[in-house]
Amino acid sequence: MAKQASNNKITTSSTAEYFSKNLQQVGFSSQTKAVLTTLKEAVDNALDACEEHGILPEVSVVIQKVGSGSLKNSDQVRIRVEDNGPGIATEDVPKVFGEYLASSKFGRGRCSRGQQGIGISAATTWAQLTSAVGAKVISRTQSMRKALSCTVEVDIKNNKGILKEKEMIDWDRPHGTSVEFLVDGRIQLNGEAGLLNYLNGTTLVNPHLKLHYQVPEMEKQTIDRVSQDIPAVPEAVEPHPHTMKLGEFIAHSHLFGRVKVEGWLKKGFSRIHEGVLTDLVKSGLPRSLLDKQVDSLKEAEFKQLFVAIQNEKLMAPSTKSVLSIGEESMAKSIKRLGAVDFFAVVSRKPTICDFKPVQIEVAVARLEDKHIESESSVQVLRFANRVPLQFDKSACAIVHAIESVNWRSYGITQPKNSLPQGPYIIAVSVVSPFIKFKNASKETIDGSDELVEEIRRALIQAGQKLSKHIRREVKANELEEKIRHIEQFGPILVQGLCRITEAPEARKKRAEEGLLKLLGRDAHVTQQELEDAHAKLEAHLKTTDLTEANI
Amino acid sequence: MPTTEQNIPKISKELCNRLLQDLERAKRPVLYATKCSLDNSIYNHKVGYLTPGSKKVATELNVSSVKKMSRAIFMLEILLRNIDTGAVNTKRELYYISKGYIKHDSTMKPLDFADQNESDEIIDFICEMLECYREEVNCYANDRGGQTYSQQLVVTETLPDGDQAVVDLSKLGTTPFQPKNRPQNLSLSARKKIDFCLIVESEGTANTLVANGFTKRHNCILMGAQGVPSNAVRGWCKLIQDQLRVPLYFFGDLDAYTMQNIYRTLKAGSAASLIRNSDYSAPDVRFLGVLPEDIKKYDLNDYPVKENDAQEVRALKKATDALKNDPFFQDKKNKGLAQILRWLLENKRRCEQQAYFTVDPRDVTMPEKIIVEKIRRGDYV
Repeated sequence: MAKQASNNKITTSSTAEYFSKNLQQVGFSSQTKAVLTTLKEAVDNALDACEEHGILPEVSVVIQKVGSGSLKNSDQVRIRVEDNGPGIATEDVPKVFGEYLASSKFGRGRCSRGQQGIGISAATTWAQLTSAVGAKVISRTQSMRKALSCTVEVDIKNNKGILKEKEMIDWDRPHGTSVEFLVDGRIQLNGEAGLLNYLNGTTLVNPHLKLHYQVPEMEKQTIDRVSQDIPAVPEAVEPHPHTMKLGEFIAHSHLFGRVKVEGWLKKGFSRIHEGVLTDLVKSGLPRSLLDKQVDSLKEAEFKQLFVAIQNEKLMAPSTKSVLSIGEESMAKSIKRLGAVDFFAVVSRKPTICDFKPVQIEVAVARLEDKHIESESSVQVLRFANRVPLQFDKSACAIVHAIESVNWRSYGITQPKNSLPQGPYIIAVSVVSPFIKFKNASKETIDGSDELVEEIRRALIQAGQKLSKHIRREVKANELEEKIRHIEQFGPILVQGLCRITEAPEARKKRAEEGLLKLLGRDAHVTQQELEDAHAKLEAHLKTTDLTEANI
Repeated sequence: MPTTEQNIPKISKELCNRLLQDLERAKRPVLYATKCSLDNSIYNHKVGYLTPGSKKVATELNVSSVKKMSRAIFMLEILLRNIDTGAVNTKRELYYISKGYIKHDSTMKPLDFADQNESDEIIDFICEMLECYREEVNCYANDRGGQTYSQQLVVTETLPDGDQAVVDLSKLGTTPFQPKNRPQNLSLSARKKIDFCLIVESEGTANTLVANGFTKRHNCILMGAQGVPSNAVRGWCKLIQDQLRVPLYFFGDLDAYTMQNIYRTLKAGSAASLIRNSDYSAPDVRFLGVLPEDIKKYDLNDYPVKENDAQEVRALKKATDALKNDPFFQDKKNKGLAQILRWLLENKRRCEQQAYFTVDPRDVTMPEKIIVEKIRRGDYV
């Protein structure tokens, strides 16, 4: 055995090496996905950076077909994303674009879009692998006199970024970053996985974003911001002990150096205070353990402490760390999606699902463009921490929640156990510092029953709000139908009766007048019902004010 | 005035006139129809069949019913024309006739029926309004069931043109006589005294009995009911009962479905046909078997009711309801029949009419012998 082992030499590989061989795991599994993922990573970074520094983001996106690519059936595509963010200091540029797992956000328990620091480096790797050119970066911080222009490549063997063609240039803006990738891929504009869907979705959940974009076969577009408020990204809260595993628990202690266990527990975790410690001692934890220094604890003692805390009943984690878009902003933002008949938005209060804080926000809108086939499913926009999710819809918790709602009771058609149908958009945003994704490319949310139920509740509220609009419409249709009925059937009925009874013309005329009077009374009742429905809706709109509007 | 065929045009005209008058006064016309359901059924053993109670269904003219009413008047016109000319049609033909009218008059377009269900519904509605049955408005179903064999029976049919056709059943060999949906035009006579009339549930078993010489050996009428009796079978039985005054016996399966849906309908009519039960039921029909006690007596092969057979489960459930609510089974004259239902519910077993063939497999006339013996001994309910 020993001899065999010595023949098969065990080697270690760098993180970059791993990801460069497994780019499909992080969103580069097809040519169309490669373009979308590259764009997505660049935009995510731009928005995160702006929010972090309190800047209202203005982002320009350019996507062009340059020529044919080196891969079979592919095009060479240029993707450029420019922002007015804080810019990146020269020494950080290679880390940001060329090093895996170099992140300012990793494990901080904040609701930022990016989390681990994989995405943009993967985009650089893809560009490097398919076009043999890295990311072209121009960046300028407030303190720089000139902007840095360079190309970043990933040193795959050592997981390091390398700066090439570095020069300082004049740039017409005080601060910001521009990054350009030349990648092999294919541009897909329309459809659920299309670029336009991504751009629309991003504007929907980022009301404060001003976006310019230029994509093939379309004029240059500008979408103005509808909110001047930069979302205040809540500060991270200390981790809740019940969301940790023993290893994490021990690793967490290393951050604190030489402090007493008692102090570490109180400072380093949320929901642990004096009362909890007293209870721990009461239920059998030796007091002496709490008085020891953290760095002197043995593994067995850590375990004893960890188990005791796990068995203790603690308050659920705080929901302060989640970030909401807000009903008002969402209401304004939804109008940017196109011509909308009416809509409803619901912002649930932050809550705890699976011991993690989470907030669900939902917008349901009926599009004016009714040419969309009424038998096709509604358009579903899914967001996790304000990033659109565009793939593998059927496995997602959001879709499960939508399917579980009985939309028929709100006047929307829905085949059994499937998505509702018609010209509607259902947008669901899940915000949480700890979203459980099914894969590293963050395409689907893994749903626990608790999370699905929370999303379902939000959808039901939105459905109820929406049904007021739909009901009014149904009433209007009914009235129209009834009036049509009278006009159509009245004369036929009278004529038939007159033929059978051989009645003279004068009787016929009198009967026709009488019938119209009768049916007119019915129509009047319906008209009244319609007006009531209308008034109810108006009253409802007044109470909900801006959050919902009949456009 | 009770509805009869002759006064349907008159009643229709009166009805239309009333509707027109109400409309002229801008008054909402209301149409009343007899409620045809079990809760509006009355049974009196002296009358012998289910009769309608006083409950009526009212249909008021309003925005929602104007379409139905316009369609009804349109269809009524077609039916009245048929009565006038003596033409007859099936429901499907009427559907196409209505299509034809609409095709040639574009102002009628809104009345167009999307499928036959819609026009059928209107024809039924007209019958309820006029309190008549569809044969009376010359709308016939195809003749089904009732194939009859006899060596003694002679049928005289009066044709629409007044001619008479005489059918001597003894001349037909093994070919059956098929009664019409409208037995009112038939008159019966016997060449020789007829002892009884046997109605067999299964058409096939009736054929077998005839093939084996049943009608040769006995002065009788033998008829196959072919399951749930059609109007033709029901009217035909009544005719035999009224005109020949011979005892009638029903021979069928021992199960809840046969008892309620076949035998009861034959004897006393049904709740759905309350209006026409007077013309379509033969209260003298007796239940010859299979009786529960026959199983033991003749050692018949019976078997348990299949719990997963929807029709049988439904029939048993209906039997429970019938014992509670059906005036026919509640009447003390029909105690014996109610007892059979109760026996079926308790034992959850069934026995088919063909089980008589197990008694002596080598003797093809064994079922015949049992039937005749049962009639002779008065072994029926």
